Amino acid sequence: MLLESLLIALWAGIIGIDLYNGLTHIHRPIVTGLVVGLILGDVTTGLIIGGTLELIWMGMAPLAGAQPPNVVIGGTIGVAFGIILEQDPNVAIGIAVPFAVAMQGFVTFLFTIFAPLMHRADKYAEEGNYKGIDRLNYLGLSIHFVANAVIAFLPIYFGAEKAQVWVEAIPQWVINGLSIAGGMMPAIGFAMLMKIMLKKEYIMFFIIGFVLAAYLNLPIMAIALIGLAIALYDYFTARTKGGLGTGEEEITDGI
Amino acid sequence: MASNHYHDSTVAPDLTEKELRRMAIRSMFLQASFNYERMQAAGWLFSILPGLRSIHKDEKDFKRSMKEHLEFFNTHPFLVTFIMGIILAMEQRKEDREAIRGIKVATMGPLGGIGDALFWLTLLPITAGIGASMAIEGNIAGPFFFLIVFNIFHFALRFGLMEYSYKMGVKAVAKLKEGTKLISRAASIVGLTVVGGLVATYVSLSINYTWKMGEGELNIQTGVLDQIMPALLPLSFTFLVYWLLKKGRSPLTIILIIVIIGLIGSYFGFL
Repeated sequence: MLLESLLIALWAGIIGIDLYNGLTHIHRPIVTGLVVGLILGDVTTGLIIGGTLELIWMGMAPLAGAQPPNVVIGGTIGVAFGIILEQDPNVAIGIAVPFAVAMQGFVTFLFTIFAPLMHRADKYAEEGNYKGIDRLNYLGLSIHFVANAVIAFLPIYFGAEKAQVWVEAIPQWVINGLSIAGGMMPAIGFAMLMKIMLKKEYIMFFIIGFVLAAYLNLPIMAIALIGLAIALYDYFTARTKGGLGTGEEEITDGI
Repeated sequence: MASNHYHDSTVAPDLTEKELRRMAIRSMFLQASFNYERMQAAGWLFSILPGLRSIHKDEKDFKRSMKEHLEFFNTHPFLVTFIMGIILAMEQRKEDREAIRGIKVATMGPLGGIGDALFWLTLLPITAGIGASMAIEGNIAGPFFFLIVFNIFHFALRFGLMEYSYKMGVKAVAKLKEGTKLISRAASIVGLTVVGGLVATYVSLSINYTWKMGEGELNIQTGVLDQIMPALLPLSFTFLVYWLLKKGRSPLTIILIIVIIGLIGSYFGFL
């Protein structure tokens, strides 16, 4: 079983990268069904379980940064246990879900701890160290590989019950807390942009964009088009007047 | 306004097809260092780095462009090459840096929305749906059908958009050269409108507390805060961070504070 477990872990690591990078979609359960089926010597069962899991995960897409239960771990563990225990796909899912949810929590954790690394990246930029930027991104890929491989390996090699005890040792409030923190963190990125872009004469456009999204729930596309309409009006008015007035040319750095 | 222009303002030679293709391949790792603070920023810089290196021969300009392309960035991981093409065309022509930032910020949000609708909600369900129905019947062609059809669209767009938007960008930017100040103003207007919308959409923070007084119950979030203004907390919090940054606090300190707030809020259950 060790060889099979290692091969499945290797597959989970590779498709763990594909989930966010590459995106050739070999990470979907329909493909995992075939591959894990091949590893465990039962392609037909693998295909059937993979197809069933695919339908379940369909529609659970990473929209606007929200994380659905991890499809990599759900797929690999689901198909593996379906074949090993000769269970129907629904039982296999029951076994896979706690790990898929735990992995989702772990991904949130990764996305949080990667924030401080951005300041390392800033330093590389100041030094013009482009190799440092490369290394930083390769580090990210490696971490995703290792995390997925390990979490897929544990339950398949040691058995689901034993592995579940370890997975559940992380208290839920910690995972929730990190995901709350993750929701607040984009504020830093926006605030940094605003620090550079938000001059006095532009504040009104920020307000317009905010109101359109917060009150009218307009999609960003619509908001950008309204912004574009205002910008075009501004552009052509200023042009016919023969350029901007002198008052608007002075540099202000924010409010 | 000298600070908004590159030190060396000579137009760099056109990027070759090979360079464009290389960057389209690198764009597959857009989310390698994805994080909640700046999302795809470092992956974005990683994707366009070869282009920036061949465009900016001036050491200072290169460092500056690196730094500015590490600012917050988030878009759809397939359509990103469209933005890369335009931005590289602007960099090559040594456009006003404020205009470059404005265009980048103005395009990333809408493209993200288009991409989600196009790929996650249309192409994926259709191809995976057909493939899965084949696989469930034990047909080995299922996974192959899915992978091939899905990736034909994926790679055609990733590589096609890169070339298309770069060429279009070079032409458009050359034409617009006359009024860079007006254009950078227009770009900032669209950019800030989008940022206003993004703050309301992407930053999430809400109070989970119900105040009980005798018979009555009052949910602080839906009963009070949302009544004053939707997305009040995300907006106030963003301005708090903005103020802290202006006071010279390091973003690292702010990250630490956020994690502590998140953990405390989760432990006591009020966030």
